[in-house]
Amino acid sequence: MPKRRDILAIVLIVLPWTLLITVWHQSAIAPLLAIRKVCHHLVKEILIIPERLTIHRQRLADDGTETRHDTGPATDSKEYCSQDKDIVEVVRTEYVYTRPPPWSDVLSTIHVITPTYSRPVQKAELTRLANTFLHVPNLHWILVEDSQRRTPLVTRLLRETGLNYTHLNVETPRNYKLRGDTRDPRIPRGTMQRNLALRWLRETFNSNSSQAGIVYFADDDNTYSLELFEEMRSTRKVSVWPVAFVGGLRYESPKVNAAGKVYGWKTVFDPHRPFAIDMAGFAINLRLILFKPQAYFKLRGVKGGYQESSLLRELVTLNDLEPKAANCTKILVWHTRTEKPVLVNEGKKGFTDPNVEI
Amino acid sequence: MNGVAVHSALVCTETHNAICNIHNEATGKDLLISALNLYTSLTHQQVIMRMRLKLKTVFVLYFMVSLLGLIYALMQLGQRCDCRDHAKSKDQQISQLRGELQKLQEHIKTSQLSKKTDVPRIYVITPTYARLVQKAELTRLSHTFLHVPQLHWIVVEDAPQPTPLVTDFLAASGLTYTHLYKLTPKDRKLQEGDPSWLKPRGAEQRNEGLHWLREMGAAAKGKEAAALEEAVVYFADDDNTYSLQLFEEMRYTYRVSVWPVGLVGGMKFERPVVEDGKVVRFHTGWRPNRPFPIDMAGFAVSLRLILTNPQARFDGDAQMGFLESSFLQHLVTMDDLEPKADLCTKVLVWHTRTEKPKMKREDALQKQGLGSDPDVEV
Repeated sequence: MPKRRDILAIVLIVLPWTLLITVWHQSAIAPLLAIRKVCHHLVKEILIIPERLTIHRQRLADDGTETRHDTGPATDSKEYCSQDKDIVEVVRTEYVYTRPPPWSDVLSTIHVITPTYSRPVQKAELTRLANTFLHVPNLHWILVEDSQRRTPLVTRLLRETGLNYTHLNVETPRNYKLRGDTRDPRIPRGTMQRNLALRWLRETFNSNSSQAGIVYFADDDNTYSLELFEEMRSTRKVSVWPVAFVGGLRYESPKVNAAGKVYGWKTVFDPHRPFAIDMAGFAINLRLILFKPQAYFKLRGVKGGYQESSLLRELVTLNDLEPKAANCTKILVWHTRTEKPVLVNEGKKGFTDPNVEI
Repeated sequence: MNGVAVHSALVCTETHNAICNIHNEATGKDLLISALNLYTSLTHQQVIMRMRLKLKTVFVLYFMVSLLGLIYALMQLGQRCDCRDHAKSKDQQISQLRGELQKLQEHIKTSQLSKKTDVPRIYVITPTYARLVQKAELTRLSHTFLHVPQLHWIVVEDAPQPTPLVTDFLAASGLTYTHLYKLTPKDRKLQEGDPSWLKPRGAEQRNEGLHWLREMGAAAKGKEAAALEEAVVYFADDDNTYSLQLFEEMRYTYRVSVWPVGLVGGMKFERPVVEDGKVVRFHTGWRPNRPFPIDMAGFAVSLRLILTNPQARFDGDAQMGFLESSFLQHLVTMDDLEPKADLCTKVLVWHTRTEKPKMKREDALQKQGLGSDPDVEV
């Protein structure tokens, strides 16, 4: 009897420690835990002179001690902290022909803000979006993830495209009362992410800088023609154009009078909104964003379809809108939506190898 | 005396000190040794009592602490980490980057123009049909294809004649293309309200594309014929998503090459299972007993094989899911398949589908005669 107890005691004591040590060695969480504290503000540039390649600017915007509070989301201060402080990557040697066009000093930069979230089609959507963006010169992609920390999938994808990008993340608070997993339904999807991007722009660029920029909100499932980006480049304040497949119509568009001014909205769904336009239907000059630093998308209490108005009414009046796309007669952007893939055959435990990234 | 004795503390008292010593060495607790030494001077009874208390609590505490620590560590492990990035030190990274930069600059000096002409051509056959999202789908597909050198896009419309939408679009796309058309006979066509899986789609159009290729192959001479020897044919639907790497993987195909396809067959991805560099079976959840349980986007055929097998075509009457098999079984056996995409472990193409846009308001307006301007092309 004593012998058994003896052995039991020894086993009980030794087992947890051996488990811990073996498992600890197998993973590299030790460095992960150490990095949590310190973050740097890292901005690096690599200029590649030959005209074939692009100037590859990459920013890992991390702020260490973010303690400001403002009208933006309150929880994102610690999200600035990154775990990954790698130095800028160089453009790869293969697929040289896929690199974006060389950076031009004359063209204004288009800052495209895309909120994204993890789901099976995410990588596919971002891939084909990146394939489109690779054709647009002077494009800066600001990708904001709806997640607690930046996922490796998106990090790797952005790096491999060779685009000029900024990778941010902020998590929309979850509604724990319902199921623990659903997001807060009162905050429209993507709002906090877009606000974070606006805040990043305001912190990175000051009003005095001469860099001309245009801000465009692009969702990751829409379809954009290349002509659209050239149309929006000449925006002075806010420019607008028609968008296909929104509001239950073939397309929604602003009403333009003979003088070339917008006087109304050709929509069926609540045309009396201040700005009855989809997120993909307008672009804002960066100067205007910096000039009005309090303008953000309203987080709560926004009726369906009024999100765009909540931002635009603080920036511009109807009179100042600039109609593009041949006086709003051409469709250059389509509000496509991707079907949710039916994954019935995965079953409860998952049929496919979870390590393979899709 | 002690009916509850499960604890090793009691073990120490009842057995010899020797075991206790081993115990102490295993745990490395100095205070235990000193405590024990202290207590041996007391009476046996007192020793038993105090030892029981002191050692018992110590061990209980120790056990709880180690358990908590283990749980905490396991929770930490629950988060995925990108371990590769932490493996190298900063200095290594810097030198590696410098090396790559030099390589790149050399590459620029020696490389050809962006449109490389010395690589095998890829013929992409895309059947398409008129619907609301057609122009959008073709637009974003063309953006992907514009990045691929030596790509020849064969667009086959399901229409009695070429439509202006597709004609104008292709002309402005900047791609090398061939515009064909072939109307699906009524009995094979999906009717309004039919689910998409009822009849196989695009068979006639793909056959039309193959027919064009065979005619071109027969008429080609000299250098053009030599170029066709190495060319590859790929069937790309207009709503899927293709990564640029996929085209480089398929470019060098001798017979038929295969790779995984994402978001198809009711699963995250379907793939061929490769052992020793050969495809032995297919990992799919839906009807794995088909001769080739692979999606249209999951294989590419060398043009040579198509030209030497003039009878190989898609069977429009085939059962659902057997369309690919109806074509491939005339061309190749499973043994001869060439696995790509890192021996079929990477997903480079996704079988995405686009929602049909809701047109309730449009339909209502049309009834009133106030529909949106039909001259505006969507």
